[in-house]
Amino acid sequence: MKALRLFERHGSNITFGIIVFILAMMPVLLMMGVVSGGSTILFLGKCISFAIVAIGIDLIWGYTGILSLGHGLYFALGGYAMAMYLKMQATGGHLTDFMHIGGLTEMPLIWVPFTLSPGSLLLVIIAPAVVAWIVGYFIFKNRVKGVYFSIISQALTWAACSLFIAMSPYTNGNVGITEIKSIFGSIKGSANQGNMFLLFYVSLIALIAVYALSKFLVERKFGKVLIAIRDGENRTYFSGYPVSRYKTFIYVLSAIFAGIAGAIFVNFNGCITPSQMTITYSIGMVIWVAIGGRGTIIGAVIGAFFINICEYNLSSGSTVEIWQYIIGVLFCVTILFFKGGIVGLVRDKVPSLFKKV
Amino acid sequence: MQTEIVSKEELLAKNPAPIKITQLSESVLDINHVSVCFDGFYALTDVNTKVKRNTIHFFIGPNGAGKTTLLDIICAKTKPTQGNVVYHPMYKDPVTLTGMKEYKIVWLGIGRKFQVPSVFVNLTVEENMILSLKKGKRIMDTILRKPKKEELDNIDATLQKVGLADKRQWRAGALAHGEKQWLEIAMQLVQKPEVIMLDEPAAGMGKPETFKTGEILKEIKKDCTVIVIEHDMDFVKQVADKVTVLHEGKILMEGSVTEVLADPTVQKVYLGRGGE
Amino acid sequence: MEQTINILFNGLSLSSIILLTSLGLAITFGVMRVINMAHGEFVMIGAYMTFVVQQLFAKFLPESIGGLYYFVAIIAAFGVAFGLGSLLEKFVISRLYGREIDSLLATWGISLILQQGARSIFGSQGVNVTAPSFLSGGITLGECTFSYNRIFIILLVALCMGAVWLVMYKSNFGRQMRAVMQNRPMAQCMGINSRKVDNLTFAMGSGFAGIAGCSVALLGSIDSTVGQSYIVNSFMAVVLGGVGNLIGTVIGSGIIGISSIFTENYTSSTIAKAVVLLIVIVFLQKRPQGLFVIKSRNLD
Repeated sequence: MKALRLFERHGSNITFGIIVFILAMMPVLLMMGVVSGGSTILFLGKCISFAIVAIGIDLIWGYTGILSLGHGLYFALGGYAMAMYLKMQATGGHLTDFMHIGGLTEMPLIWVPFTLSPGSLLLVIIAPAVVAWIVGYFIFKNRVKGVYFSIISQALTWAACSLFIAMSPYTNGNVGITEIKSIFGSIKGSANQGNMFLLFYVSLIALIAVYALSKFLVERKFGKVLIAIRDGENRTYFSGYPVSRYKTFIYVLSAIFAGIAGAIFVNFNGCITPSQMTITYSIGMVIWVAIGGRGTIIGAVIGAFFINICEYNLSSGSTVEIWQYIIGVLFCVTILFFKGGIVGLVRDKVPSLFKKV
Repeated sequence: MQTEIVSKEELLAKNPAPIKITQLSESVLDINHVSVCFDGFYALTDVNTKVKRNTIHFFIGPNGAGKTTLLDIICAKTKPTQGNVVYHPMYKDPVTLTGMKEYKIVWLGIGRKFQVPSVFVNLTVEENMILSLKKGKRIMDTILRKPKKEELDNIDATLQKVGLADKRQWRAGALAHGEKQWLEIAMQLVQKPEVIMLDEPAAGMGKPETFKTGEILKEIKKDCTVIVIEHDMDFVKQVADKVTVLHEGKILMEGSVTEVLADPTVQKVYLGRGGE
Repeated sequence: MEQTINILFNGLSLSSIILLTSLGLAITFGVMRVINMAHGEFVMIGAYMTFVVQQLFAKFLPESIGGLYYFVAIIAAFGVAFGLGSLLEKFVISRLYGREIDSLLATWGISLILQQGARSIFGSQGVNVTAPSFLSGGITLGECTFSYNRIFIILLVALCMGAVWLVMYKSNFGRQMRAVMQNRPMAQCMGINSRKVDNLTFAMGSGFAGIAGCSVALLGSIDSTVGQSYIVNSFMAVVLGGVGNLIGTVIGSGIIGISSIFTENYTSSTIAKAVVLLIVIVFLQKRPQGLFVIKSRNLD
């Protein structure tokens, strides 16, 4: 009973601790030969980045009630900033192949910062933050809300994605920026396992930091204001809160999380393409949060890991078709019947199970 | 009275040039010739009245008379087609409310309770109250600042007053309808507003509860001005200092309760119909 | 001069396709406040129906009446989309009234299923429909060429608009539909079966998406994502025009279509579409409710 009460109060932190512990053990297990294949670590690294972006989406959707169908944009912006920096590291500040093919003779302006200094890595945060601020400032000030916001965010992402594809001399179009080494050097092959572990642990620390910051924010009065905005936007205005500023703030914050996640993703994935910017990809992120459990930070983390691990194991070979059906049905059923997702289900059902015992 | 004069002089000394603070104005809100038009339908036509300081001012009238619209105008939820609303805060320059941001109006000390109880259902009673505190509405405040001891005491006292003290940890959504109304009034009080607007505070309450609400309003009146929309005539008789009767968007008449009740036109358009 | 006429004609043709794909959305969004993200998949179903009907005609019927397949395809596309829409409403949408954002998400789940369904049946490679022979070629007036299939699409859209107008403003069902749209509880009190009205309305919206699919099939290859490429523009047209306002949707589609073609003159077509969408987004900042707002006393 005592354990149950402890879990009720600190359940999410305990669960997060367990997840972090398992993740931290993975490289050790790999070294000991319990788990095989370096690709597992690569995959889990990507999952970490997905969990970070999911937390951002949860803050804005689960807590504040603003459904963004375009967080892929910010994810990709962070990813592209990282990729461009790494590419310039690789070419030594010279033009890349696709620029030559595109007929460029000089370094394009948007690439210049990446040739100059590692400080340009700050663009991983700044680029999504600035774009999100401009979008958020006007949209929220003009009281665009609900589904209108969702539709506009999706159109925005679609437009940005088209532009990235169309400007192929600058972005390498559909192919995206490929063949990138990670920020700690190559992570391919067993010789470079050290680099991969370093990258993995740094990413894990980033996830812990993002989780802790989000948890801190939602537990302060700030988090209550977010919930107040979700449940009664007008009422919140008339309680004296500058609602549109709060919305812009949390939107920018979640875009920054997405940017960081994108940057981590690129390191593990080795490339970034406009497909990370599409509507489908963006809504995919919302699916993780919905199934994990919106409105709880831990739900976002669980959802991101759960869905991606299922997908990783199911979407190869003959089951690839089935996976699409499963995810569609799962998402639909979650929205229809289990608004709280996995976390909500556990929270509602588990205590009563204990009582029966 | 003495202190007031000193303050005015102090203010004048600080800002000598353009400001005219001749005296503490008797009225707290001037509603100047306000008209509102929705697609050719005039919800309000040339409404012109003043709300006196430290009074309980009732707006009554049949459905569709424009009472709620008038409150919307005051707190800038709706823009008037014509006219404006001027607010006279205590010891400060008059402010035109028309065209301001809603939250700034709240910061100036004008609170509003809506017709439908609109508490934040997923927060606890206490969290609802904390959100309503006068201070700490900026983003950084909400992240870094914790409510002070005297603010918490204030919340305690207010919850005692409306009888919700032992339900402070309840989720607000779990409260009964009447309790939600109380909570919302408490949320207004805890902001220490200068003007408090209540849209049908007694709706869904029984007679004894309504009476208790009235007694609370009388107590509030000492510190601030109360504007009420209400249909319950017993409630009006109990507490009103001044009554404005609206009919089809226009002011039909204004005066004390007895004057208004005695007026034959009012009886015809409103009281007679309501089956009072 | 020729250039202007060409821009206008191509713009009109693009607008009419956008209009046809947004018509159903405008109806479901306006009447039921449900955002149907699977709407694009109904367009896809219509397009595949065209393909299927053509294959059947080629297999079982003499070549001489081959061109007529298209008319059968329109009816079949409408019918299949109508039926599926009705089922979708019955089992999913009906549980989501009053939850706009959830309706958007749940229908996205449906759209994933439908897309995968199309891939399972038709493969992930695109298929092509050969336009019926009477639609090849065009009229040349002076320097301008008006291709028959674009003219046909414009006429088809006009016909659909006429049908919608008749249904909504002249039929008994339309009266019920508008009653439900304006005041649902009141309509129920008057004895209107709002469940049935909702179901038929949603099915009708889906049916029009099916017809849109037929016209989309004439323009390019069909694969499982064909609906997605039209849906963003359609949503923006509905929002731009003002929700719940069919005339608004017509004008919204017109603006997006013609300005896309106009911008294409100066840059590539992808960039043009992106630029137009960005402009529309900026415009919506000025009028968040769209061009035609129904002002009412019921705020919120």
